[in-house]
Amino acid sequence: MAEVAIHAGRNPVARAAQAFFRDYLVLVMITLLVAITAIVEPKFLNPRNLVNIMRQFGPLMMVSLGMTFVIIGGFIDLSVAGIINLVAVVTISLIGPLGQVPALLAGMLIGSACGALNAAAILTSGALTQAEALFLTFGMSTVFSALALLYSGGMTMHFWDIKSSKAMFETIGAGTVGPVSVSFVIFLVVLLLLWVFQTKTTEGRAISLTGGNKTAARLSGVRILRSIFVIYVVCGLMTAVGAIVLFSRITTAAPVIGAGYETNAILSVVVGGTTLKGGKGSVLRTVMGVLLVILMSNCLDLLGVSTYLQVVTKGAILVLAIWLDNRKQV
Amino acid sequence: MAAGGSEVILSIRDVSKSFPGVKALDRVSIDVRRGTVHGIVGENGAGKSTLMKILSGVYQKDSGTIEFDGEHVEHTTPHQSMQSGLAIIYQELNLVNTMSVGENVFLGRFKEMKGMRGTHARARELLDSIGCKVPTTRLVSELSVSEKQMVEICKALSFQSKLIIMDEPSSSLTGEEMAELVKIIRQLKEKGISIIYISHKLDEIFQFCDIVSVMRDGRVVDTKPVAEFTRNELISKMVGRTIENEYPPRPHNVGQVVMEVRSIQTHKLHDISFKLHEGEILGLVGLVGAGRTEIVRAIYGADKARGHEVLLGGKPAAIRSPRHAKDFGIGLIPEDRKLQGLILPFSVESNISMGSIRKFSRLGFIRRSLEKGIGARQVQALAIKTPSTRVAVNNLSGGNQQKVIVGRWLEISPRIFIMDEPTRGIDVGAKYEIYLLMKRIVEAGGSIILISSELPEVLHMANRVLTIFEGRITGEFQPETTPVDEIMKAALGLEGGAA
Repeated sequence: MAEVAIHAGRNPVARAAQAFFRDYLVLVMITLLVAITAIVEPKFLNPRNLVNIMRQFGPLMMVSLGMTFVIIGGFIDLSVAGIINLVAVVTISLIGPLGQVPALLAGMLIGSACGALNAAAILTSGALTQAEALFLTFGMSTVFSALALLYSGGMTMHFWDIKSSKAMFETIGAGTVGPVSVSFVIFLVVLLLLWVFQTKTTEGRAISLTGGNKTAARLSGVRILRSIFVIYVVCGLMTAVGAIVLFSRITTAAPVIGAGYETNAILSVVVGGTTLKGGKGSVLRTVMGVLLVILMSNCLDLLGVSTYLQVVTKGAILVLAIWLDNRKQV
Repeated sequence: MAAGGSEVILSIRDVSKSFPGVKALDRVSIDVRRGTVHGIVGENGAGKSTLMKILSGVYQKDSGTIEFDGEHVEHTTPHQSMQSGLAIIYQELNLVNTMSVGENVFLGRFKEMKGMRGTHARARELLDSIGCKVPTTRLVSELSVSEKQMVEICKALSFQSKLIIMDEPSSSLTGEEMAELVKIIRQLKEKGISIIYISHKLDEIFQFCDIVSVMRDGRVVDTKPVAEFTRNELISKMVGRTIENEYPPRPHNVGQVVMEVRSIQTHKLHDISFKLHEGEILGLVGLVGAGRTEIVRAIYGADKARGHEVLLGGKPAAIRSPRHAKDFGIGLIPEDRKLQGLILPFSVESNISMGSIRKFSRLGFIRRSLEKGIGARQVQALAIKTPSTRVAVNNLSGGNQQKVIVGRWLEISPRIFIMDEPTRGIDVGAKYEIYLLMKRIVEAGGSIILISSELPEVLHMANRVLTIFEGRITGEFQPETTPVDEIMKAALGLEGGAA
């Protein structure tokens, strides 16, 4: 902590600049990334590529926004991959028999139930640390994935196999309102709701307090157990929304389509600047984090970087983000 | 009384040590002679453990000299001091539970012992030498506390220790185990090994110590052969201090009973029942670990307790969680300000407002203007020194941090205020302000349960004192009229607790 103070010095301009870089490093990185890629590969600014990016970030955005609450609450959820698998195969299979709206609601319900199950496992076992939650939700993820495989029999389900109307899902996946995609409109609405929830409601505050210091919050009469329940249900629900946006876009649902979403979501939240220590963060930061992660893979794709190397880059960025986060603490 | 040889094995001269805001040791001088048992007594916070940590090399002294076995000790590490023949056996024994007795004795020195066979053979010899029958191959996790202590002693002997320091060794021993330990201590003494014996328990001091040093407020106030002390003299030397204007005048506002607690039972507490009156400051006095914090946590619903009843204003109150307690008008200032009281990276404002969210919200939505008002009001009312209410609370001094917690609770106007070590680690001026706040609270009709390891604080502020020893209430006193020694005796579990 002394170091930071020394670097900042007495100069208010230097200090302000440092604070800006610390808080908005991700914005700086996005700008740099866009600038460099646009110069090296002008195709990047092609309208078609931009629309593509808009479509791409939908599913990860939804999952990451849900994950933001879990991380602000001082916990973590590795089960989102399993939830995506389960929600995707179940929802798509219900479109035919139940109709579109019931299928959609059922999917969201299943996601919330999975989150509630996570919370119940954590609360009843008393595993109230982030590390314990990490292992617990990792275990739950395999359970959800296995259920998805059992349910689907390992088969990939396609839109074209559904005989009844699936227009609503097709609109979610590929529709546009004027120049923007429908999924982008959904994103804006969801973001507004979550932002209000996080910053303006007492429950949002209770989540931050719980994440900041569980013991102190509890001794001050904050209902921390309820907050823990809420964060996992919100995460489960948002993951379900993400799963629906995802299979609507690619028009198929395999029982393994969620693979990798847990790391990408955590990466987006942390890169956005929400601390893994809990307490502080925001859904708006996560939007920037997701943008960076999606732009990065898009740019690396355009630049012809191999997939393996892209994974390495992502891992390195996650480590860097956590490292920076720890440096700025205290 | 065997005074042993006259040769000085350890000479501590004018050793001082300061921590930010506290003078932990103030020119301490102690001579320990070869083959003697030297007792060190003193209240919590008198400086005993700081002194031990300097001897073992955990802390570095600020000034003064230490001479051990004829050599100056300057910058030492725990390992070096062990090698030079100075061993410390801590209260919370330092053994590896998953390893065998023999392995623990020679931890990290198996090569010197020529492998495991040599290790076990040598450990056997050492154990036999103090009359301990435990097999060297048994796992430490299977031993009783006293057996573990013997393993620690063997470890000390294996380093050819000339001085063994025992920090409150008896705190977890039964009577028989204690007799065993006394026997071993006498044997060690005959071998010419010196022992520093730190304890609260005066019986033990009188039983087998040769010389006693009394510490108080970081100073050694007296060192004499134990036979020249009377028990009462020892107690009054431990507690008696001269105080001018450290405390505001004691408030006198005691009224009707506001809370009655009936028979709290946990694995640590036994049948705790008491009453608290309106406008009263009730002090809970006892050693660290006697169960004071457990009592208030049980009342507050922070820990689970069985079958007890809390009556508030004559009506039973089912307090099952801190939230319930808050709803019943009870506030808690927890023992550990930084870990249990505050969210350090959060602002002063949100640390104040977190107890009264309901007050500044409507239909589940926060009203920021009201919250800002709450923060600003308490900062002003309590004169909390902070550049603004938006500053992170970890930038504040200890005293101001404590005021933030007080402010949090004042906002819900609690009837009962539980304060667990409210002045720990804050400077004298800030302490006085906290005392004034306490006075203001009771003058406004609130009641306070005060827990403090600083006996004078309780004695000066409380209207009534309960002494707690090993989970039981051992006495009830009026601190204004009762001699300090009597309260101290009850808190130490000695006779004379007029219950």
